[in-house]
Amino acid sequence: MSLNSIYQVIIFAWQSFWRNFWLSLVTITIIVLALLSINSLILLNVVSDKAIDIIKEKIDVSVYFRQEATENQVLEVQTYLSSLTKVKEISYISQQQALQNFRQKHQNDPLIIESLEELEKNPLGATLVVKSKNIEDYPEILTVLDNSKYNDLILDKNFDDNKIYIGKIKTISDNVNKIGFLASGIFILIALLIVFNTIRVAIYTHQKEITIMKLVGAANWFIRSPFLVESVFYATIAWLIAIGLTYPLINLIQPHLTNFFLDQTFNISQYFQDNFWRLFGLELLIIILLNIASSFIAIRRYLKV
Amino acid sequence: MIIFKNLTKFYPSDTFALRNVNLHIKPKEFVSIVGRSGTGKTTMVKVMTAEETPTQGRIIIGGWDITDIKMGEVPGLRRQIGVVFQDFKLLGKKTVFENIAFALQVCGTSRQRITEVVPQVLKIVGLAGKENRYPVQLSGGEQQRVAIARSLVHRPKILIADEPTGNLDSMNTREIIDLLIKINEFGTTVLLVTHNREIVNSLGKRVVTLDNGQIISDQKKGRYLL
Repeated sequence: MSLNSIYQVIIFAWQSFWRNFWLSLVTITIIVLALLSINSLILLNVVSDKAIDIIKEKIDVSVYFRQEATENQVLEVQTYLSSLTKVKEISYISQQQALQNFRQKHQNDPLIIESLEELEKNPLGATLVVKSKNIEDYPEILTVLDNSKYNDLILDKNFDDNKIYIGKIKTISDNVNKIGFLASGIFILIALLIVFNTIRVAIYTHQKEITIMKLVGAANWFIRSPFLVESVFYATIAWLIAIGLTYPLINLIQPHLTNFFLDQTFNISQYFQDNFWRLFGLELLIIILLNIASSFIAIRRYLKV
Repeated sequence: MIIFKNLTKFYPSDTFALRNVNLHIKPKEFVSIVGRSGTGKTTMVKVMTAEETPTQGRIIIGGWDITDIKMGEVPGLRRQIGVVFQDFKLLGKKTVFENIAFALQVCGTSRQRITEVVPQVLKIVGLAGKENRYPVQLSGGEQQRVAIARSLVHRPKILIADEPTGNLDSMNTREIIDLLIKINEFGTTVLLVTHNREIVNSLGKRVVTLDNGQIISDQKKGRYLL
């Protein structure tokens, strides 16, 4: 296999690409659609993961202590909870702080503020705000607390059930993923069938050249290779077009995502840039391999050397 | 150079294209293979170029037993055998130069070598100066010369001409035959497959006559018998 041969194979593949231009265009369009649907799927996954992360960050358990629980007792509970491996962090809110927070929260409600004024002493107990390492660990932490000797000190526990929202997001994202996978699968299947057919047509339109190649002693690999290279052209051009369309789309939705998440650090475009080769490189590799496989089947079936 | 040993080619379900053919062609010979249509002449060509494999017997080309030739070895064989056909098999969108260069390009020959070889073979076939013409701009005889030039680019030891004059008038026919004789004189073994009585009789060279897949005559300075 000389460099001249490789050069000729590429030239023949390129000529074939242009000879059946409209067919090449349709083939590329279908591959572009397949790639765009995959890119949308990736985008959706990134966004839903981010949404889940944000909600997870907001989840905590507030442990309200009885008014008579002393600060030392509360701090003892804090130490006890800190010793649990599944606990990430604990914030202590003193009685005084709890009262301040309460006042602030209800500053526009004169009835509540007046009621507070009438009370002679602080009606609120201290609070511990517990965050776990994993969202799944909250029930276990609460059970440990329930079964501990400190249970009598605790007035109430408020597990802010954001888990439901996470569940909902996960369900929606799973469903959209399923539809996305199905759509991508269908597009990929169609793309492969189109590539198969395009190569089949290319073989027919080159029948005379193939006959002459065989006649003059061209190597079998040389006769076959231009069709494989042609399918690599389709994959690469489609991939470039898909990237060219994906980035403007990302930039278009970026401001909406920033507003939605109220997070200036979340930059989807940056995410795609940081993971360019991991995402798009892999995508290119896979689409090239699939195209080659499809072309190979067409060549095996229709090109007799 | 070419040896057929008890060679039989059978096409299912009931056609014997060649039946127990024994033939020995020496290097630098000019042999006409004649016979009516469907007597197995083209099958002989196909067996020699490994387009068909024999059902029985052996075929040896230049000391190489190609009876059970591997697929990967076929291109090597075909570079040693030049073949021209009645229908020229030229590419209409390529010029004379490009048509000939094509045979070298597909075998990985460098551009420099191509620019050396193509003018040489064009000169041999008498088409120097017509390299930029397209096949439609040439006469039938000239088109066949292009095909012959293309078959010569690999300097084959054997040239097989399968009915090369079938589409030509008598003047062009004569020119092509003269060219084949010239090539033979350069040292190439030439096999002329034809049913042109006049040509065969005028050559005064070896004639192998096939009938119904069998050799019925092999004369050193033969004539068209059928």
